[in-house]
Amino acid sequence: MNMKLKKTFSDLLISPKRTLLVVFALVLGIWGVGTVFVSNFILTNDLNANYQSTIPTQLILHSDQFEKLDMKQFNNRPEVEMAELRDFSLQRIEIYPNEWIPLWLFGVDNFEDMKIARIFPETGKKIPDAGTMLMERDCKHVTSIDTGDSPRVRIGSKMTELKVSGICFDPAQAPATQDAFIYAYTDKKSYSQITGLPSNQRMIVRLNNVHSADDVKRVSDVLVKDLNAQGITISSVEIPKFNEHPHQWQLNTLLFLIGTIGLLAFIMGAVLVSQLMRSVMASQVRQIGILKAIGGSQFQIFQIYIAMLLLMGLVAGIIAVPLSVLSGNAFSQFVAYKLNFNILTTSIPASVYAILIAASLLLPVVLSVGILLKGTAISVKEALSDYGISQNTSAGEYKTMKKLPVSNTFMLAARNSVRNSGRLAVTILAMALGVAIFSTGFNVRQSLYNLLSNVKNEMRYDVQVVLSKQVSREEALRPFKSLDNMKLIQLWNGGRGEIQSKLLSTNKGAGIVALPGNTELLKMKFVKGSWIAASSEIEIVMNQQGWDIYKQPAIGSELMLTIENKNIKTRLVGVTEQFEKAKVYMDIDKYDAIFNPNHLANSIMFVAKTNDYESVMTLKKNIESSIETTDFQVLYVMSQAERVKIIYDHLNIILMTIVFLSFLVLVVSAIGMASATGINIMERTREIGVMRAIGATPKKIYSLFVMEGTITSVLSIALGLILSVPLSKLAAIFFGNLMLGKEAELQYAFSPLGFAITVVVTILFGWLASRIPAKTAIKVPTHKALSYE
Amino acid sequence: MNQPILFLQGVSKEFKTKERTFAALKNVSLSVEKGEYLAITGKSGSGKSTLLNMITGIDHPTNGKVLVDGVTIGELSESKLAKWRGQHIGIVFQFFQLIPTLTISENILLAMEFVNVIPAAERRNRVTELLTQVGIAEQANKMPSALSGGEQQRAAIARALANNPEIIVADEPTGNLDSKTADSINDIFSTLAQSGKTVIVVTHEKNTALKYQRIVNLKDGEIELPTL
Repeated sequence: MNMKLKKTFSDLLISPKRTLLVVFALVLGIWGVGTVFVSNFILTNDLNANYQSTIPTQLILHSDQFEKLDMKQFNNRPEVEMAELRDFSLQRIEIYPNEWIPLWLFGVDNFEDMKIARIFPETGKKIPDAGTMLMERDCKHVTSIDTGDSPRVRIGSKMTELKVSGICFDPAQAPATQDAFIYAYTDKKSYSQITGLPSNQRMIVRLNNVHSADDVKRVSDVLVKDLNAQGITISSVEIPKFNEHPHQWQLNTLLFLIGTIGLLAFIMGAVLVSQLMRSVMASQVRQIGILKAIGGSQFQIFQIYIAMLLLMGLVAGIIAVPLSVLSGNAFSQFVAYKLNFNILTTSIPASVYAILIAASLLLPVVLSVGILLKGTAISVKEALSDYGISQNTSAGEYKTMKKLPVSNTFMLAARNSVRNSGRLAVTILAMALGVAIFSTGFNVRQSLYNLLSNVKNEMRYDVQVVLSKQVSREEALRPFKSLDNMKLIQLWNGGRGEIQSKLLSTNKGAGIVALPGNTELLKMKFVKGSWIAASSEIEIVMNQQGWDIYKQPAIGSELMLTIENKNIKTRLVGVTEQFEKAKVYMDIDKYDAIFNPNHLANSIMFVAKTNDYESVMTLKKNIESSIETTDFQVLYVMSQAERVKIIYDHLNIILMTIVFLSFLVLVVSAIGMASATGINIMERTREIGVMRAIGATPKKIYSLFVMEGTITSVLSIALGLILSVPLSKLAAIFFGNLMLGKEAELQYAFSPLGFAITVVVTILFGWLASRIPAKTAIKVPTHKALSYE
Repeated sequence: MNQPILFLQGVSKEFKTKERTFAALKNVSLSVEKGEYLAITGKSGSGKSTLLNMITGIDHPTNGKVLVDGVTIGELSESKLAKWRGQHIGIVFQFFQLIPTLTISENILLAMEFVNVIPAAERRNRVTELLTQVGIAEQANKMPSALSGGEQQRAAIARALANNPEIIVADEPTGNLDSKTADSINDIFSTLAQSGKTVIVVTHEKNTALKYQRIVNLKDGEIELPTL
């Protein structure tokens, strides 16, 4: 065997623990990056592939006159790629006794030839028998209803049983688990029979040569105009997000999150590898001198250490690459389960493996090449006269420190800590970054919790009943007059969520919420401006998402809104922070004066006298029972607690990932600190021997090193917590943008619990990081320590 | 008389610290002929090791120049100097300085591999010859830590001879050995000198120095009295 290679192998075995630590650091770095790489590859491909496999709808037109339209001719228009009729209505389904959630019921024109918004049969019937429905598979996570069951369905005011003849998969829909909906599909004829609604009222369209929502809007304007000219009045137009899954934002957030944390784990791993290679080079200084003295050139010696790195990289790669593929797949499966899509990637392409293996081999070389070049450039004389790190503390610093009321051990530890100021800086920075990320994880989590808490606080009603068809005020109040535990009922038009936006919205898709201007049931958090006041004008408040749709007009500016084809002049007075669809809030009297002269209402808000969870759920059940006696066309009845749970479910996956991954970063940075302490101790082995020889007890030496570790920890925590403030603010802005919409901000929040956990965990890690190498140091016998080179 | 293989001309070496400048060598000129067996003596701090560092190119003079076999070693780059040193000068250290993770024969093979003047096919045989020459052939496959101090120094001499250099330089090679072992090491150097190698040994042991062909005594960085 080549002697240089032999030396490489032998050197790796001198300190197996150190070699293992380098390999471990590399494994962490490569695993982190690899997992992100693999899951990114799978998820970006597969969510989109699932979504695109449905041939998603680009435009939805509503009219009650489509029967007049020659669909074949319409399909032949140059702008139209394909179009078909797909009816849709919101009904309710009983998922457990007296527990109802919205049912999105679609009436399919032809199950055998679905060209757009396709669904895929999974179990049971592929085409539902007449009078039955197929249910979307994600419903199984919210109900025990299965093929063959006949759950109760409330269609407007009537109750019926609707048999499930099969389970299908619709990857274009938002997951039922998160939105607490169930999607169901029946044939056109059955749809009309079940709902009592006319069919052929809704057309779904795909267009040629469109590349954005603006393109779709442009073409839809032309189509609507032409259809109107043909005597087919289009009552409303919907333009879904262009070529984007409804929960793409969640995936984007997760990918960004794991991408960032994976990158940070990589940086931490990188710092760790370079620290360890610095340690290897420090321990090899004299040998490098000898190798040069017997004829080795810098390049030849450099080759030995590069080979060492390549070997460690290879071993790390052998461990980390399969782990990356496994964890990348597992994470993808987890996300696919949460977002209800199928993993289509059956094998990772060779190029991904090649990149990961190349990264494994090149990563340590790239990270340490500077250290190796510097280490092997040492002259023979310097190398042979090297006895470890030197003392840099000046006499002036020493005198200053002596004046401080601190113990001798602390003073010595403090002076030792600054002996290699470059290494100390890297260690503190790496650890501080870990602390900052860990703390940021908690702060972002707190911001999200605050958002949830705001949701709870802003909606001060306990139960909401939403009707798909407005009723008179008297009619709305009548069934509930004698309910127990009821403090207050208030009537609104519109309300939270997408369903209500569908019922009542501006032409740009912002949901209208018309409510008493002086209501006490809605107390929102304002980003700008304030709540509507008594005024002769129509004052409006928008949430950030709505404000974004209207391109962020200034507070106080005039804004023309188009609602139900009527233009109204409004004045924007406030913008609120909400986890919501785009909404516009206005006074109900002003709304009624223009759009609702009969003062009808579709939202009935209930406030309970006793609002603990059990009492509210009892009230909700009583409300449900009362509704059964009416002919209300109910969309849903929902308690606040359930609504908060729905929002929490949307955020939970992100919250869990944030905390887990930020903890991982902290662990890696703690290992970095342990390695730095280990290097310090190793370089000072002779010094330890001298200290022992002149009477220092092992306990004294141990406490000295632990004190050094504590000083580093405390400095890291302080710097990390300072860094966490701007980092948390940036993260809040970023996640706000991803989850709440462009320009929307999640408010920065300080997490006291996170702070306490960060301090405790970091001190614990710091203590362990110095304790373990310190314990090793005092085990070295004095004579060996003195002869250490 | 043979032609000089080593020539130092007006070599001075200063070490600077914050507080002062210290002259380790002061205008030293020295000529060593091929095959000469030379001792450099002097008290601790007299400049012996500094002079040796000048000869081996481990350190460079502040003033003056060092020529070895016609080559001004100060003009060589670090990498060229390393290879040149491996080929032309064999160094023996006081503390042996064997690579602890390689066996004795591997230590020697590594030196050959670096310089690459001995054909690969001949290296193993040469290792055996060298180890036989220094009397530790049976220790070839042992790790340095398994050998006594004297055996380790013999191995270090064998490594110094690996590339068949013209000059062998030894810095206090017996300073860490008992007198009996030291004698046997000195015998090896003497034999090498007789075989035509130029051997320069730094020592502070006056009794040992008497065995050399010439003694250069250093005092306060200057050659005190060259003696034949």
